Amino acid sequence: MAFSALTEKYSGKMGTLTFGSGDQAITVGGQAAMPFCTFDGEIPNKPIVAMEVYDVVDPEWPAAVVDPFKDVINDPIAWAKKNIDEYGAKAICLQLASTDPNGENKSADYAAELVSKMIEAISVPLVVWGSGNVEKDAEVLSKICEVNEGKNLLIGPAVEENYKKIAAACLGYGHNVVSQSPIDVNMAKQMNILISNLGLPMDKIIMEPSTGALGYGVEYSYSVMERISLAALAQNDEKMQCPITNDLGKECWKAREVKLTEEEEPAFGPDLEKRGVLWEAITGFDMLLAGSNLLIMRNPKAVKLVEECIDELLA
Amino acid sequence: MGLTGIQIFKLLPKTNCKECGSPTCLAFAMALAGGKAELDKCPYVSDEAKATLSEASAPPIRGVVIGTGDKAKKVGEELVFYRHEKTFLNPTAIACLVTDAMDDAEVDAKIDNLNNVQFERVGLTLEADLLAVRCVSGDAGKFEALVKKALGATEKGLIIMADDFAALEAGAKAASGKGALLYAATADNCDQVAALAKETGASVVAKGASIEEVADFTGKIVSGGVKDIVIDAGARDIKSMFYNDNQIRRAALKAKNRDLGFPTIDLVCDMTDDPYKEAMLASLAIAKYGAIVVMSDIDKERMLPLFVQRLNIYTDPQRPMVMDEGIYEINKPGPDSPVIITTNFALTYFIVAAEIEASRVPTWLLIMDVEGMSVLTAWSAGKFVADAMAPFVVKSGIRDKINHNKIIIPGYVAQISGEFQEELGSDWEVVIGTREASDIPAFLKAL
Amino acid sequence: MSKLIITAAIRGAHAIVDRVEGKVNAAIQEYGADKEVNLPNTAYYLPVIYGITGYKVEKLGDMPGVIEKCRQLLPELPAENAWLPYLGPGLDAGMATAFAFELEESLLYLDPDKCPYLPSKEDPEDTDPDIWLGAADDIILRKRGVEFVDGSAPGFAAVVGAAKDVETAIKIAKELQEKSIYVFMASSNPNGVSFAEQLHEGGVQVGWNTRLVPFGKPTSAAIHALGFATRAALTFGGKTPGDFKEVLKYSKDRVFAFVLALDEVDDEKYAAAAGCINWGYPTIADTDIPEILPTGICTYEHVVSNIPQEEIVSKAIEVRGLKITIAKIDIPMSYGPAFEGERIKKDAMFVELGGPKSVGFEFAYSKPLDQVEDGKFTVVGPNIKDIEAGALLPIGIWIELAGRKLQEDFEPILERQCHHLLNGAEGVLHIGQRDIVWMRVSKKAVEAGFTLEHFGTILHAKLHNEFGAIVDKVQVTIFTDEEKVKEHLEVARKTWVERDNRLSDMNDETTETYYSCSLCQSFAPTHVCVVTPERPGLCGAYNWLDCRASHEINEHGPNQPIAKGDVVDERLGKWKGVDEFVAPASGNAFESFSAYSILVDPMTSCGCFEAIAACLFAANGVMVVDRDYAGETPCGMAFSTLAGSVGGGLQTPGFVGISKFYIGSKKFISAEGGIKRLCWMPKALKEQLKDMITARGEEEGVPNLYDMIATEENGTDEETVMAFLMEVGHPCLEMQQLMEMM
Repeated sequence: MAFSALTEKYSGKMGTLTFGSGDQAITVGGQAAMPFCTFDGEIPNKPIVAMEVYDVVDPEWPAAVVDPFKDVINDPIAWAKKNIDEYGAKAICLQLASTDPNGENKSADYAAELVSKMIEAISVPLVVWGSGNVEKDAEVLSKICEVNEGKNLLIGPAVEENYKKIAAACLGYGHNVVSQSPIDVNMAKQMNILISNLGLPMDKIIMEPSTGALGYGVEYSYSVMERISLAALAQNDEKMQCPITNDLGKECWKAREVKLTEEEEPAFGPDLEKRGVLWEAITGFDMLLAGSNLLIMRNPKAVKLVEECIDELLA
Repeated sequence: MGLTGIQIFKLLPKTNCKECGSPTCLAFAMALAGGKAELDKCPYVSDEAKATLSEASAPPIRGVVIGTGDKAKKVGEELVFYRHEKTFLNPTAIACLVTDAMDDAEVDAKIDNLNNVQFERVGLTLEADLLAVRCVSGDAGKFEALVKKALGATEKGLIIMADDFAALEAGAKAASGKGALLYAATADNCDQVAALAKETGASVVAKGASIEEVADFTGKIVSGGVKDIVIDAGARDIKSMFYNDNQIRRAALKAKNRDLGFPTIDLVCDMTDDPYKEAMLASLAIAKYGAIVVMSDIDKERMLPLFVQRLNIYTDPQRPMVMDEGIYEINKPGPDSPVIITTNFALTYFIVAAEIEASRVPTWLLIMDVEGMSVLTAWSAGKFVADAMAPFVVKSGIRDKINHNKIIIPGYVAQISGEFQEELGSDWEVVIGTREASDIPAFLKAL
Repeated sequence: MSKLIITAAIRGAHAIVDRVEGKVNAAIQEYGADKEVNLPNTAYYLPVIYGITGYKVEKLGDMPGVIEKCRQLLPELPAENAWLPYLGPGLDAGMATAFAFELEESLLYLDPDKCPYLPSKEDPEDTDPDIWLGAADDIILRKRGVEFVDGSAPGFAAVVGAAKDVETAIKIAKELQEKSIYVFMASSNPNGVSFAEQLHEGGVQVGWNTRLVPFGKPTSAAIHALGFATRAALTFGGKTPGDFKEVLKYSKDRVFAFVLALDEVDDEKYAAAAGCINWGYPTIADTDIPEILPTGICTYEHVVSNIPQEEIVSKAIEVRGLKITIAKIDIPMSYGPAFEGERIKKDAMFVELGGPKSVGFEFAYSKPLDQVEDGKFTVVGPNIKDIEAGALLPIGIWIELAGRKLQEDFEPILERQCHHLLNGAEGVLHIGQRDIVWMRVSKKAVEAGFTLEHFGTILHAKLHNEFGAIVDKVQVTIFTDEEKVKEHLEVARKTWVERDNRLSDMNDETTETYYSCSLCQSFAPTHVCVVTPERPGLCGAYNWLDCRASHEINEHGPNQPIAKGDVVDERLGKWKGVDEFVAPASGNAFESFSAYSILVDPMTSCGCFEAIAACLFAANGVMVVDRDYAGETPCGMAFSTLAGSVGGGLQTPGFVGISKFYIGSKKFISAEGGIKRLCWMPKALKEQLKDMITARGEEEGVPNLYDMIATEENGTDEETVMAFLMEVGHPCLEMQQLMEMM
C-alpha cells in the first residue's frame, strides 16, 4: 500500500490576540492546525517567548538564572532592556513578585508606576503578571490598567475569584487579559465565557490553563491544552478559541531537579546550568507542542533553544 | 482492535473453563479488549474466531522488541495520537551511539553512562535503553570487534548500524540471538538484510530517503520472513523529522497502511553537534511519535529532563502515578521536626516535597496510600478521612521518631480535623496546614 | 391602567419638545448656528443622541435636526375613548423627551459664566457656590464604569424629586450606599425641594466619591444618568453609535439601574420615566400613580407605585432584579472552611441544641417575595442570655426564602446547605439534617458575643452569596420554645413527605428537558452523564433536580439543559436531542446514548459510579456490585477490575456504571427487562436497598424478588449462582436471551 500524505482539515480555528501598541504590537494565535502541523492548515503567527523580569528576586534562585542578569537583577527596567538588547527578547513579562502580601507587599501605586516606566523604557510589548495573590492582584492589576490606559498590555492572571475586577479594568482601559483556570478543560471554557460576558471580546483574552513544569504536572497541562486546541479546531467551539499562554519560568526554576547540587543529589550530575536550561527549554517545548502561543520564560539560553525550534519547525 | 468486550465474548466458547486464568469467559473477553491478555491463552477458541479476533486485535503499529532478557525494550503498538485519548503505551527508547572510529576510552565512557545513568522516581528506575553501534570505518573486522565488546559491556539491546553489508553481516552475526536491530535495509538490499535478520533473530530498520520510498519495500521484508521492522524515512532535520513521525503514525492508524504500520527511529545524533539542540530534538521525538531516538551520549544533565519528560508523557492519564505509602524524610528531620500528612498522588507528593525542601525546614512527610488521588478527591471518595488516616498514622511508626505530638493536615481537609483528633485520641494534636502547597515554606518557618 | 400614565407621558413630552425647540431657536439667534456645543470632556458628543441615533451634535446648527427627530417620534395624544397598546407610543414619547432634555442640558454649558454646574469635578467643595455637578466627563465615566462592569457597583438609582424629610432622605441614601449602589440625583418636588439638597442639608457629603451624585436641579438633568448608561454601552460594550437596539439592550442587561420617583409625579416626570423604560430601567414611586406591571422591556415590572419611602429601596432592588452580595458575615467569631471540621467537646460546650436528648430540625421553604423580609432574624424562646452554660435546648431553624427564580424544587437543595454553611462558623458544630439536627455552640463563641440570631446572619449572608442566582430574600426564625419547635416540626414533616413524593412522581416521558453533567471530564474527557428524572447521575450525588438547580445557579457550569426532542427509540431511551447533545459534548467520541439499556449504546462511565451493573449471560440476568464490596463476583471480576474496564469515559456494552438509587427506578435497565433481570448483588447492598427492591418487585409482579436475588452467600461464580437461581425460579431465566438483544 503506497503512501499518500494525510492531512487534517478543521472546521474551526484559533482566534488571535494582539498586544502592545503601534509598530511594536505582536499578534499571537490564529492557527488552523495543531501545533507545527503546517501541512494541515495555516499557522499565521509564530508562537512568541516573553522573557520575564522580576521586581524582586528570591534569594533561593539558582545561579543559572541569576548569572545572566547579575548586573541588572535589582533593576527590572535595566533587566528588561538587557533581555531585549542582548538576548533578543521579543516581549517582556514583568513579574510583580514584590506586591505579594506574604512578601514585600508593595502597593498598587508602586506597581502601576513601575509598569508606566517599563512601557516608556522598552521597545517590545509587555505582559504584566501579578503575584498570584487573588485579592492583591485584583487591586494591583486594575490599578495598572487604569494608570496605563490604552497601552494594550497583556495583564494577568485573572482567576475565578478575581476576574471581574481585572477583566473589567482591561475592558475599561484598553488591555488584554490572561484567563487562568485550574488544569481543567471545562473550567478554562467557563472562565472564557465569564470574562466575555463582562463584555471583553474573545480576541482580548488569552488562556493560561495552569502550567506544570516537567515532573510537576507537565502532562496535565499538556493534555488539557491538546484538548482545548482540538475543541477549538475540530469542534469549532467558539468559547475555546482563545490563544494559550504558559507561565512556566517560575514553575521550572523552583523544581528540586534544577536546584540541588551534585553534593546534595549525586545522581543529578554536576552541571546545574545544563540541567536547568534543559528543564525549562523542554517544558517550554512541550507546551508549544501542546498548543501554546505565548511562553513566559526566564533563562536566555533556554529561550534561544525554544525559539530555534519554533523557527525551524515553521520555516 | 476496536472490538468491545462483549463482541469478543460472543466469539469465545462461553464455558467458563478457567483454563486461560480468568474466572469467566466474560472476564477474559474484557481483558482481551483492554489489551491485557493474549488470545492464545484460550485453548478452545475456534479457528474462525481466532481469525476474526487476530485480524481485529493486530495492533496497527507493530510492536518490536529489541534485546533480550530483563533489559529487552519494546517499542511501537501505539494506538492514539493524543495521550488523553487513551494513553501512550511503550515509551520512546533512548539509545546511545558508539562508533568504531572512537577510541576505547570514549566507547567505555559512553557505555558506562548508558549502563549507569539512572534516576529513581515514583518507584521506577529511569534509564536509557539501547546501544547503537555504528560502523564508520568500513572495516568489517573492526566493527565486529566493537559489537563483541558492546555485547560484553552492556545487557541492553543493540542497534547494529553499518552501510556496508559485509560489516552489517559481521556485526549481526556477532550479535546473533540477541534480538538486535539491524540498521539498515534499503530498497536495494532489503532481501539480503531480511535474510540476515531472519538468520540472526534480529529486527530490521527500513531506511529510505522518504516515506514513499520506505513504504515501497517494507512489504518485501515481511515477505522475507521478518515482521519486526522499524522505519527511518530519512529525516535529518527537525522539520522533516516532525513531518515523518506524524505522517507515519497517521498512515498506520488512520489509513491502516500495513506497509507503514511500524515504529520509527530518529537519528538525532546525526542532526546536530550541539548537545543542547540534540536534547531538544530528542524531546520532540518523545512527545511526537518517535519510537527510538539515538543520541550521542547519555549524560546525567540531559537525561534527567528527558527521562522525566518521557515518564510524564507516557503516564496513563487515567491511572495517576503513585508513591509508595510510608514516611519520607525531607531535609534530614529529627525528633522535634514537624510531621505533615498527605496523599500518595505523585503530583501531590512532588509539589509538597519540593516546597518543604525549599523551606529548608527538616520535616517528616507521611504519605498515605489513597490509590493515587489528590487530597480533595481522596477526601470526597472517603479515602483520606479520619477513620482511615488514624490507623495509618499509628501503624506508620512515626510516633517513635518524634518527641512531640503534632500532625499537620492539608488545609483543604480542615473539616476532618475534629474527627481525626477524636480518632487519634488525646495523645496527638491535629494542626491545620495550608491549602496551597506554595504557602508551605512560610507556614513551616512560622511553626 | 397604563393608559393614564402613557397619556400623561405623551402630554409631557409634547410640552418638553416645544419648550426646548424654543430654547434652541433662541440660542441660535444669540450665538449663531456655528457656535460649538458639547458636554464637558467627552468624545461622545451628546451621548444619548449620539448613542441612539449616531447623529453628532457639534454645533447649535445641528440641533434643529434633533428637534425634527423628536417630532417624528412624538405620538399623537390618544383619544379619550380609544384603547391602544400604549407602551409603544409611550416609549417613543420617552425617547423624544430624552433627546430634548439632552439638548436642553447642553445649552446650559454654552456660556461658562452662566453654567450652573461644576464641570469635571468629582465632588463639590465647601467653597463652591452650589452642589450640582452636571454631566460626568469621560475620565469619571471610565473610572466609575469599570465598577459597574466588575460588579463592585451593582447599579445606580436615579432619584428624582425629594424625600418627605431630611432624615428619610439620609436613610434612603444610606441604604443605597450600603448596597454600593450609585445614587444619581436630579429634579425637585413641586415645592422646589430636591433630594440632593436634603442630603447636603443633613450634612451628608455628596459627590462621586460617596456615590451620591448631584447632577442638577431641573428634571432635564436626569438625562445625565441615561448619558452615563449610554456611554457605558459604547465604551465597555463596544456598541456602535446608532445601533440603538444593541445600546439599549446592553443598558438593560449590564447597567442595573432604576428610577426612584419621590413625591408628586408631573407630566414631565412621566415623560422622563417613559424615557427610562427604553433603557430597561423601571420606575418605583412612593405616590399612588398608575402602575405598568406587565413585563416586556424591563426585566420585571415597568412602573410600580405607592411604595412607602421606608421600603422603596428594597422594592426597587427586587423589581430591577439586582443581586446583592454580602462581603463580610457579621458575627463575632471567625468563619471559614477551616472550622468546618471543628468538634466541640462537652466541657467546651455552652449549649447543646437538638440532638438525641431533645428535638432539633431545620426547614427551608419558599414564599412570595412580599411575604419575606430580607435579613430579619428572630428568636422565639430562650436565647443565650437566658440560659446557663451546659444547657440543652430544642431547636427549629425556620428559613423563609423568596426569589424571582426560586422554585419549590430548589427548597430541599437549599435546606441541605445548612449543615455546610453553619459548620463554617468557629465554635458551632452542626450534625444531621431535617429532623435529626444536633448542634453545639462553644463557650468561646458565647464569650465572643454569639447569640442565636447569628445563625440567621450566617445563613442570610451565605445563601445570598452562594445562591444569589435563585435567592433574593432570606428571613430566619430560630425556635427554642419546645411547643413552638414541635408545632413547626409538624408542618415541616408534611412538606418533607410532599417533597419526597414530588420527584418520585416525575417521569421521563412527561419531562422535556434533561440535564447533562460533565463534571468528571477533567479525568474522563469523553464522559457525559445525561440525568433524567428517573435516572440519577451515576455518582449518586446529582439527581435531576440537583442538576437543574445547579444550572440555575451557574448557567455556564457543568450541568446544561438538554431538550430531549423526538423519541428515537422508546425502549432503549434514545432521543434526538440527547444524541445531538452527546456527540459534541463527548468530543465526538460517541454518537448516541441509551438511557435505559446496558447492551446497546449504554451511557459512558466516568469513575465515580456508586455501583456497576454487569450482564451475566449464562444466567441471562444482571448483577450489580458496589464500591464497598471488595470480593469476587459471578462475572469473574471484582469491583476494582470492573471499574478499570468500564471507567474512563467509555461505552462498554454489557456493563454500566450506576447510582444505587437508580436500581429502584422503573427505568433501571428497562430496555432489557428491568429489575426482573437483577439476579446477584452483595449482601450488604441488597439489605440496604431492601425496601426499594421489594416495592419494585411487587410492581413487576414478582413479590418475592428480594429473596430470589443471590448474594455472595449463595455463590460468587456463575455456575453456583445459576444453580441458586434455578432453585428459586428467578424470573430472568425465562426472559428473552440477553445475547439476542444486542
